[in-house]
Amino acid sequence: MNIRTIALATLRGFLRNKVILLFGSLFVCVVLLMMSPLIAYKAMTTAANAEQMHGFVLNEIAGVMALVSGFGSLLAAWAAADSVAGEMRSGTILAVMARPLKRWEFLAGKFLGVLGLMAGYVLAMLGVTLLLAWLGGQSFQFSVWTLLVYPLTRYALWASISLLLVTLVHPIVVMAGVLILMSLIKVFESSSSSMAAWIRLPVHYILPLTNLISEERFTVITKAARHPFPWTGHVTALVYGLNYALVCFLLATLIFRRRGLSRD
Amino acid sequence: MTPVIEFSGITKSYRRRFRRTEVDALSSVSFEVKRGEVCAFLGPNGAGKTTSMNILMGFIFPSSGTSRVFGFEPGDVRAKAQIGFLPENFAFYRYLNAERLLQFHLRLTGRATADPEGLIAALLRQVKLDSYRGLKIGKFSRGMVQRLGLAQALLGDPELLVLDEPTSGLDPAGRKEVRDLILELKAQGKTVFLSSHLLSEVEQVCDRVIVIDHGRVVGTGTMQQMLEQNNRVEIIVDRLSPELEHAIQEHGASISREENRVRIHVEPEHKRQVAEAVWAAGGDVISLSPLRASLEEVFLKLVDTGGAA
Repeated sequence: MNIRTIALATLRGFLRNKVILLFGSLFVCVVLLMMSPLIAYKAMTTAANAEQMHGFVLNEIAGVMALVSGFGSLLAAWAAADSVAGEMRSGTILAVMARPLKRWEFLAGKFLGVLGLMAGYVLAMLGVTLLLAWLGGQSFQFSVWTLLVYPLTRYALWASISLLLVTLVHPIVVMAGVLILMSLIKVFESSSSSMAAWIRLPVHYILPLTNLISEERFTVITKAARHPFPWTGHVTALVYGLNYALVCFLLATLIFRRRGLSRD
Repeated sequence: MTPVIEFSGITKSYRRRFRRTEVDALSSVSFEVKRGEVCAFLGPNGAGKTTSMNILMGFIFPSSGTSRVFGFEPGDVRAKAQIGFLPENFAFYRYLNAERLLQFHLRLTGRATADPEGLIAALLRQVKLDSYRGLKIGKFSRGMVQRLGLAQALLGDPELLVLDEPTSGLDPAGRKEVRDLILELKAQGKTVFLSSHLLSEVEQVCDRVIVIDHGRVVGTGTMQQMLEQNNRVEIIVDRLSPELEHAIQEHGASISREENRVRIHVEPEHKRQVAEAVWAAGGDVISLSPLRASLEEVFLKLVDTGGAA
């Protein structure tokens, strides 16, 4: 009950958060601008260049979706950090934590509030994908649930990492840490095969391997195709992401338990 | 009977960033508040009042010492279920209106009530905000926010109210309403632990006083005991020779001369001695009356002397 109350209040807070509204509006503008070439490609398509235009459209869509997906990870991390740090900064946490509410319940409510926001974002992402495909005159082979569940799991992971970091440091440092972590993951994913085993193995266990919980593994937009993927593969990948998120969340609750809440 | 609040040897030290020094916000603070008491927690700014209240609520943790609220550790939900808390600067979700904020807090209290809307309406009426129930809190004045803070503190029908500066930002009428509210709670047998700088109001409503300064308890006792600490007797005499004045001053008396009378302020235990000395010297005692010290005088003396008074 308490967790749900905090989660709903957090979600309502996000929907009235001016920073989120501003960045959301800017982001929609950028996506709309990126969409305009699709309409041009569609208009320029003839029987002779149909295959070439098809490739352009898919590349364009893949670019937009990569941007939207990456922005989602940053949004999840920022929302999680701000939801806790904002309450501590403003002092609203004092009246809330004076209630018969355990600290882990407060964090769980915040986490679920962030997931609520990200669920809306993932639905919007799906809508953008379908809109892009329609604008480009393409049809995709994908299952809807993967485009919903995989990104949500990835965002849950980033939100939990951010919650863990914000129990220790300032939210700006959290965001810097998240960006560094994302860069490290990219570097690791591209060059892990050339790394020495003594570096690769520990990093492999410590870093959240977000490529494992990426829908791109089986939905290749640039080819508008779907890789055959066994259900055990889905389960393994999703459990990995949720497990990582759970560990981060538990560590966050452990640290938050002994953390001072007042502004002084 | 278990005290409602127990502080035993509480010390809170803060480490200064980039320096290897520690600052003690509280040093071995010990006190108890019994059930049904209205207890004032007084001290100058920076004395450690808010730090103590934050420890009491489980927001921060002491460096050493033990504290209990209703026999539980501070922050325990079983203790918090019985507490209504008003923080020093009550902060709120600015996008909510008064009614929505109270609904949110009521859900968190877990208080089962058949008519939550009725309860909230009654509380808003009690703090005179019923006509602003739909207005966003971001548009409230400082005094209105404070009233709303009081309403949220009362939401769960708590046994203990912890009020940090409850009259801050309120006009004289608002302060009187808070005073009446505290007296009403006292009549209901509730325990109230409050900090305030308005000592004349504290004097009117509190049973017990704890004075803290520089993180140390410098005085504690019932209101009567505190006020009696500084009791003096005023003796007005028609004349006083310089020799007798010198002798009386040795008893710790203060003397002020007026046109045709002399005022002597002396400790109650020396009144008879002084009066007899005046008579023996041929003078006349015009009046002899007890002077009751105000809480403000007691407080200032305690803070000045660090509790040595």
